[in-house]
Amino acid sequence: MAFLEYLADPSTQRSLLEQSGEHLFLTLVPVAIAIVLGVGLGIWAHRVPALSRTIVGATSTVLTIPSLALFAIFVPLVGIGNTAPMIALTLYALLPIVRNTVSGLYSVDNAVVESAKGMGMGATKRLLKIELPNAWPVMLAGIRVATLLTIGIAAIAVLAGGDGLGTEIFRGLRRIGSAGAFESLLGGTLAVVVLALLIDLAYLAIGRLTIPRGIRE
Amino acid sequence: MIELKELTKRYPGTETPAVDRLTMEIPRGEIVVFVGPSGCGKTTSLKMINRIIEPTSGQIILDGEDVTDVNPDQLRRRIGYVIQQIGLFPHVTIEDNVATVPNLLGWDRDRTKARVDELLDVVGLDPDVYRNRYPKELSGGQRQRVGVARALAADPPVLLMDEPFGAIDPITRTRLQNEFLRLQQELKKTICFVTHDIDEAIKMGDRIAILQERSIPAQFATPEEILTQPANDFVADFVGSGSTLKRLKLTRVRDVTITTDALLGRIDEDKHVLRQRLQESDWTAMLLLDDERRPARWLRAPDFLHDRPVAEMGLPARAMIEPQATLSDALEEMLLGSAGVAIVVDGRGAFQGILDVDDIITSIQTMRDANAEFYRASKLIDPATAIA
Repeated sequence: MAFLEYLADPSTQRSLLEQSGEHLFLTLVPVAIAIVLGVGLGIWAHRVPALSRTIVGATSTVLTIPSLALFAIFVPLVGIGNTAPMIALTLYALLPIVRNTVSGLYSVDNAVVESAKGMGMGATKRLLKIELPNAWPVMLAGIRVATLLTIGIAAIAVLAGGDGLGTEIFRGLRRIGSAGAFESLLGGTLAVVVLALLIDLAYLAIGRLTIPRGIRE
Repeated sequence: MIELKELTKRYPGTETPAVDRLTMEIPRGEIVVFVGPSGCGKTTSLKMINRIIEPTSGQIILDGEDVTDVNPDQLRRRIGYVIQQIGLFPHVTIEDNVATVPNLLGWDRDRTKARVDELLDVVGLDPDVYRNRYPKELSGGQRQRVGVARALAADPPVLLMDEPFGAIDPITRTRLQNEFLRLQQELKKTICFVTHDIDEAIKMGDRIAILQERSIPAQFATPEEILTQPANDFVADFVGSGSTLKRLKLTRVRDVTITTDALLGRIDEDKHVLRQRLQESDWTAMLLLDDERRPARWLRAPDFLHDRPVAEMGLPARAMIEPQATLSDALEEMLLGSAGVAIVVDGRGAFQGILDVDDIITSIQTMRDANAEFYRASKLIDPATAIA
């Protein structure tokens, strides 16, 4: 019952809403940067198979670094605040995007690419008009995973001086045992879950809108 | 016309070249078939013509112009390309697939649209039905029709076809082959066609190049010559036995005399009129045509005993073939159909005549006589017999 009272409090609502906005910003900016970098790296890795292992390997290594450590590494360089978490989150988001771009491009039927080539379509046009559209469903799945991953990890940005829904969660954690601590903890966590679900729905819609009808499942 | 001069492909790290100094002329307006065992380099040879595979040395001359070093993308827009896996773009519509080369060439929208509709019609797909469909919504045979339409889009003088009908079921394959031959009669493209199937080579080729390892031609000749005068054991082996049967694949229905004065009726005619006409004729059966002169049903005298509407009397007309079908196709249709005859129809399905087993037997006898003549002649000059 205490949790319902906590939720009904206008100040709680205001701060959760505000923190959700911050959280979204903290997530979407790194994902946007990771899309640009990751798709570029993925295309490069697909074009130069010798580099493929190195590029995918390097991005996987990043994912093995504990998140708190990765957040901390950048703090001495860029200081306390949102910048260090955002750099770390960009690196985390990179792997699923790079890997799915590479495997998406490999999943395009060779015959399709060869027939495009055989009709005199140059390399750039082939990439933009044939390869990327056909790799898109796999790439989008990678971007979605990267976004959901980032939403989860962004909750600890607060430890590196960032904001977002981590603020509410850690407010609860620090005061655990005292009145209202559990509610804060639960409220912040649930808000992250709701945010993730909403983002997932958004990706479903994006998929509907951007995956060409001819290759939709 | 395509001229290949000393065309060679050597892959790095291999000792023997994949294609070794292939020199060949593909005459304008003809279908030249490259046929040979797998790994003989026939596909590599084909793909060097539009430089999907870059030749190591040698020259490709297209209509007198050396294209060995021109911009490959510009070159490929002048050469139609059809491959076994078809390679339609799955993410765009049939219309956009066919419009690929016109779009690359920057045609205006109306011209492209008109051309796409025209081509879909040519390959037997109703533009209104198929224009906005996606490749996955089509059957294998329909996809390959689109593949052919796409290759023809900008009306290139030259077509390269790499086992175009290889991945299609046998019945559809025969139909597509026949349709393509009919199309070629009008289009007169210069075509280089690769297959591993000697029967297909005999059927499709104006000339056949039988290739051995490293794409070295064992014989480059017309199908007749290859069947009757194989240049060496390799060719004889490759062509295999049953040369008379194979020659049935050489002769087309349009080359033999068909019965054009069969007893005909219209499906909307009065039953009694039809019955009287059948009784007064020497024929045992009558063929009913629909209002577009397409064969509909076979009627025999006993069929009139049942009280049924004309459209449901007798047997449905089956075993229909087009004039460019081979006698082998016709024979197969006859054996499948029940009437023992094949009905010859034009491209629109309208009645042209009737072909029966006797016509085919006559044709086989003519061939056998010609063969006997050939063997007698070769015996006369055989030194072994001369000594004996």
